Amino acid sequence: MKTADITNSEMNISNAEEFFEASATQILANLAERVPSINRQLVYRCELNKLISVLKLMKANESLDFSQLSDLTAVDYPSRIQRFELVYQLLSVTHNRRIRIICAIDEGQIVPSATGVYKSAEWPEREVWDMYGLFFSDHPDLRRLLTDYGFEGHPLRKDFPLTGYVEVRYDDMDRRVAYQPVQLTQEYRDFDFLSPWEGDQELVHSSLNAEAENEENAKKNGGS
Amino acid sequence: MGEMQIRPLTLNFGPQHPAAHGVLRLVLEMDGEVIQRADPHVGLLHRGTEKLIEQKTYLQALPYFDRLDYVSPMNQEHVWALAIESALQIEVPRRAQLIRVMFCEIGRILNHLLNLTTFAIDVGAMTPLLWGFEEREHLMEFCERASGARLHAAYFRPGGVHQDIPDGLAEDILNWCDKFPNFITDLETLLTDNRIFKQRTVDIGVLSADNALALGMSGPVIRASGLAWDLRKSNPYDAYDEMRFDIPVGKTGDCYARYLVRVEEMKQSLSIIKQAIHKMEPGPVLAQNNKITPPRRGDMKMSMESLIHHFKIYTEGFHVPASESYTAVEAPKGEFGVYLVSDGSNKPYRCKIRAPGYFFMAAVDEMSRGHMLADSVAIIGSLDVVFGEIDR
Amino acid sequence: MGIIPPIIDRPIPPGETQDKILNAVTDEITNKGFVIASADKLFNWARSGSLWPMTFGLACCAVEMMHSAASRYDMDRYGMLFRPSPRQSDVMIVAGTLTNKMAPALRRVYDQMPEPRWVLSMGSCANGGGYYHYSYAVVRGCDRIVPVDVYVPGCPPTAEALIYGLLQLQKKIKRTETIARR
Repeated sequence: MKTADITNSEMNISNAEEFFEASATQILANLAERVPSINRQLVYRCELNKLISVLKLMKANESLDFSQLSDLTAVDYPSRIQRFELVYQLLSVTHNRRIRIICAIDEGQIVPSATGVYKSAEWPEREVWDMYGLFFSDHPDLRRLLTDYGFEGHPLRKDFPLTGYVEVRYDDMDRRVAYQPVQLTQEYRDFDFLSPWEGDQELVHSSLNAEAENEENAKKNGGS
Repeated sequence: MGEMQIRPLTLNFGPQHPAAHGVLRLVLEMDGEVIQRADPHVGLLHRGTEKLIEQKTYLQALPYFDRLDYVSPMNQEHVWALAIESALQIEVPRRAQLIRVMFCEIGRILNHLLNLTTFAIDVGAMTPLLWGFEEREHLMEFCERASGARLHAAYFRPGGVHQDIPDGLAEDILNWCDKFPNFITDLETLLTDNRIFKQRTVDIGVLSADNALALGMSGPVIRASGLAWDLRKSNPYDAYDEMRFDIPVGKTGDCYARYLVRVEEMKQSLSIIKQAIHKMEPGPVLAQNNKITPPRRGDMKMSMESLIHHFKIYTEGFHVPASESYTAVEAPKGEFGVYLVSDGSNKPYRCKIRAPGYFFMAAVDEMSRGHMLADSVAIIGSLDVVFGEIDR
Repeated sequence: MGIIPPIIDRPIPPGETQDKILNAVTDEITNKGFVIASADKLFNWARSGSLWPMTFGLACCAVEMMHSAASRYDMDRYGMLFRPSPRQSDVMIVAGTLTNKMAPALRRVYDQMPEPRWVLSMGSCANGGGYYHYSYAVVRGCDRIVPVDVYVPGCPPTAEALIYGLLQLQKKIKRTETIARR
């Protein structure tokens, strides 16, 4: 009897999870679409113009009840047409579920601020502005957060060098801390870990092509 | 003559201030002695950890996690190990899970000891620090015996822990567990009913449960506001689902409630440590998968293959299949999460660290408005902020 | 570079030799009412015996710094008391990663300290950037901002290592000459 109860409850839990996922997909039907993810994490993609309405719905809808924005960040994909992805991590304490909303945006596009929906978005948005240079409209206080006063550039972009552009030293003549261009005694050693046995695919192809060409040329020369 | 609007006094607090718990700079707008607005300037310890992690292999990035919240290093390593394990889908041996749980709880006590005693020093009590740090020394000795380092252990690895705990360590920890409740009693006699301590903390920095959720709070802070939310219970990881413990919940949501919650959490952690040690049985402590975990030293002396695996793991590292995931653990301060984007190479493509203290610090403005200047020190102390994780 | 103190600076262990000197000093005071000593030695004795470091924890090393001041290692035994104000302290322990944003503040604090003052760089981050050497936000060694007297290696150095570094600093102070110059 007891074991039967436990299995039932376990089934209920997985049913409840599926039900929750289905209802979330249904509620967000016109706004965002679900994308597959590892470990059954709930991930939705939406477009920028629908972002705030999605977040509002997430918070207001009682069967979702995502009352906390636990994190907000961005990812840089320089090769993509829409270069950045904004990632919102939401947490529902009542349902014990997390959801992730991903929104692809272009460089220079203005993002509506989520601070009106979630108060905790204030600092993460400042950080995204600082690190990626994405501008948020209607943000109460969009200043740089972590980097140095007067810092230039957005360090977490993939095209920003690891060691940056400037370093500081104390200037004995001026009696103040001065900035100067970075000088490294030894460069950061970034090894290429592509296995030498497999080789760089492009290189292998080009060398193979070159060999084939050589052979063809040799044949031609031999023939003529 | 109309009413005169007096410009508020701007007061700079920090970055070098003993009560700033590190390198906080607060710019306060004061009306007399009442705070009108607090503007925390963080980033004075911004070391570019996330950028550096993108340049290192998964294993090389692990020690950065020690250095985030340096008061409880192993709890941070745990989230990195879990994130990689979930991306690689590897199983952790049971003994390793229990060792991890044990050291996580030791980390929790380490953290709460430092926080409670320095909080006490901020509001005027000197003795708890002198007593509490002796207990911390014992705990750091345990860390040293297991990993070789007092603070930055780099002990939790993807797939388990680096090496088994030495003989006799479990017994010594159990012996310490018997003595530690005396310290908690002593600490409570010093603080819990102390008139000065209560005057400085009761009804200071009150957070309601709804407000705490909206501000992104987690951990002891949200529990002190009356919400029984603990990731060890709600999303048990490693061996936490086998452990029996209670979640202390505060009623008032003020600084005093946060203090009480932490004291109670130390007692619960003690019981988890004991349970973990009693459940431990001999066995492997690292997943046996030579593509991800290094071979044992003994094998390397005998087998050429092991030697090659060892070389490959410590130079190239392992490749993580392209995926993205968010993993969170209940660190002593609250929800510590990692959003890991991997692109199939041996280095993480993006690693966002979600630090609990970051959101605490963001809430300082809202919490300290309308309070006296001296109360801001109590609020910062009770929130338990460490700048390593806030600034990253 | 090892610091080898001259033989005269080594403390004389308790015993007959020490008693002889102490008795001679006591006789001198009772008979004449004063003792004659080298002013340099006296200054250095006073300075090295009351090194007051400033509480200036930056990062992880600050935890070990607190441990060295707390009950087990107890720096007070050497007359080292942590002072919260730069105006009252003569040693600055740079304990942790120094970032570009923090560097002007660190220099300002150093400038506020009265002479004579010493700087002890604690941990690999302060010594040369350490684990964060290649970061865009980190000063690659705090000696780019302030002159450093003693470097303590480690990540973080243990509390014992810090105390050893401070004792080395004491030896260094005892060797300096304030008045007599050669």
